[in-house]
Amino acid sequence: MPLCIYDPVWFPDHGSVAGWDGASHIERKPAGIIPFVPWALAPACLAARSVPRPAPTFRERLSSSSIEEYTTAMIIRHLVARNGPRAAARMSVQCPRRFLSAAVDSIEASADNSLKQLQSLEAQLNSQSAQPIPSANPETHVTSPSALSNSVAEQYYIYKQQQKQIGKLGSDITPHYQPHTLLNNPPSPADVTLELLLASEAHQGHATSLWNPANARYIHGIRQGIHIISLEVTAAHLRRAAKVVQEVSRRGGMVLFVGTRDGQDRAVVRAAQLAKGYHLFERWIPGSITNGQQILGRCRTKVVNEKDEEIPGFEEQLYERPVLKPDLVVCLNPLENYVLLHECALNNIPTIGVIDTNADPTWVTYPIPANDDSLRCIQVIAGVLGRAGEAGQKQRLAAAERGEITYRPAKNLHMPEEQEAAEKTPLEVQQQIAKNLEEDESLEDADEMGEKLDEAKNRERSGRSIKKID
Amino acid sequence: MGRYDFRPMRVRQTAKALFDAKRNPSLPQWYDIVGDIPPSETLARPVQRAPRPKGKKPSRMFQPLPIRYPEDKLRSEFFGDHPWELARPRLVVEDSGNDAKGYDWSKIEQPGKQLDGESVVQRQMWLMKHQHLSKPAAYDIARREFYQHRHLEDIRRRVAKEEALHVGAYFGKGPLQIGMELEDQTWESWKRWAARQIEDEQSMRAQMFSGPQTDGEDMSGEEFDAAMSELQPAVPQSKEGQPALGGAAAHP
Repeated sequence: MPLCIYDPVWFPDHGSVAGWDGASHIERKPAGIIPFVPWALAPACLAARSVPRPAPTFRERLSSSSIEEYTTAMIIRHLVARNGPRAAARMSVQCPRRFLSAAVDSIEASADNSLKQLQSLEAQLNSQSAQPIPSANPETHVTSPSALSNSVAEQYYIYKQQQKQIGKLGSDITPHYQPHTLLNNPPSPADVTLELLLASEAHQGHATSLWNPANARYIHGIRQGIHIISLEVTAAHLRRAAKVVQEVSRRGGMVLFVGTRDGQDRAVVRAAQLAKGYHLFERWIPGSITNGQQILGRCRTKVVNEKDEEIPGFEEQLYERPVLKPDLVVCLNPLENYVLLHECALNNIPTIGVIDTNADPTWVTYPIPANDDSLRCIQVIAGVLGRAGEAGQKQRLAAAERGEITYRPAKNLHMPEEQEAAEKTPLEVQQQIAKNLEEDESLEDADEMGEKLDEAKNRERSGRSIKKID
Repeated sequence: MGRYDFRPMRVRQTAKALFDAKRNPSLPQWYDIVGDIPPSETLARPVQRAPRPKGKKPSRMFQPLPIRYPEDKLRSEFFGDHPWELARPRLVVEDSGNDAKGYDWSKIEQPGKQLDGESVVQRQMWLMKHQHLSKPAAYDIARREFYQHRHLEDIRRRVAKEEALHVGAYFGKGPLQIGMELEDQTWESWKRWAARQIEDEQSMRAQMFSGPQTDGEDMSGEEFDAAMSELQPAVPQSKEGQPALGGAAAHP
């Protein structure tokens, strides 16, 4: 069975994990993220709060009434106290003026009479017809609401009626920029347009004096003392990076999204969620890759099958395994994460980075020339890469449904019940198996054409080499 | 420091070399991916931006050039004439990046855009292009329309305030009023402090001189004359001149 190891400490969907050793630099879950309140709710709340005119207070009413009414009010207050606070609240809200009239008692008596008549009518009807009639509430004299409009069609009709009457009232709001949509519904690589990049201020570089001349190719010009990044180049590099993220995700690779600046955390977490990758929005602990055994050695790992279901029973085998390393690192602020990028270079891990005009493009494998100081731009880029990762994961899971495995399974893992058998198998057999495997791979590599193609791909792309070919 | 590190760009070659040297048992999973989608070339010189400008080094020919638009001069002219237009708060967030596409500058007012100096510049551009007006003529027309709309805005604001006051609204103190009040408070407290200081100093002086205290203003005319005559020989610029005895306080 093809197996893959996940490190739950880096896995965003994993909550509390046993054996967590408090390596706090990699958050397990976006627990610190503020739950999002939809903006659409805010105007509704405001509308609910803005009552046109407060109901007149008791004192107001007293001043406009005579002494006689005051005594009446006293009596009624006693009555209300006897009837209970709930009834008082309802009555005072519904008809506050009613208590002020001296004829309250007579009205109440007549109401009681009518209620009695109504009840007797109900009894008569119920005795005659098969369908029972909803009884009236003796306190409010109203039939229960559920009985009034219990049919869905009726409710729908009322809704339509109201929509017809008040549907077109108020102003209509033209579509406009809503900051949360970049996080809730990030753009996919196909949605990347120059207009989107322009609106998210991806074109703004740094002051011309701060530039790194290595970025000269990505710069369109100088405007008001700052370098303007060419958005065509940005879009091209962003699409290329998205393709890489998608392919790596499709092969079951481990993608780590890093954005350690203030305000980047939500974008980073969202991208990791979409791509089923890992996120880092606090400090990168130096040595987490080069000295991973010491720093991340006690983090728990788990074994999953091709459908991402966890398979228990591998604890002893995982205990001995080396610490996991990411297959691809996406760094949204390379200037602050030089240590991380250097470690990736030492360990031969490809990286994607947002390169502003003052950053060094040789720090990363795939630069995305863009403005790394604009949160909107960072959200767009992280969202696009996250969406690409999501597409790749979907492809991988779809292939798993068809029974295809898109990645190379982890080696030296045995199913728990098989392990005992494997221990019993003689050493020679295992060696034979290993030899067979090696032969298979060498056979693959022996293909001459493939090798030449491979070499051509390995050749570094530079202007000089292109000239030579010409 | 100062040297380029090409390892990030050469991950694929390195992976192949490590595999060939049997340092790594297998090629990484991303080996094919990085081969199929290679990184872009870096550190390559950009295309030549400009023919060799006078008085500039040839190496500058490959540097980015400033971006200029015809509106720039109009803009600087308008804001030079109306510098306080720059002090007004302005919305700079773009909605979709296509905001300017919906604008029609045959009128100065645009739906979804506040009226500001940029409106004048764009209107002037439109007039120059479509009605073939000269720059100053177009500027005058655009400027007048702008003033007219600003005036209407003022009226609208005043009427709105009047209506609000009529139906019972009240407006608190304005920022200027609050500022003036704070300043007055500080001034008053400083005055109190200064008076106290003067009082303290005077009482200190009173303690130092135990003799009877007379102020210069209390001196009667005769006393003053007597004092002056006493000092007469010592007064400078007289015919007798001043004896070298050290100055005396001549003035009360």
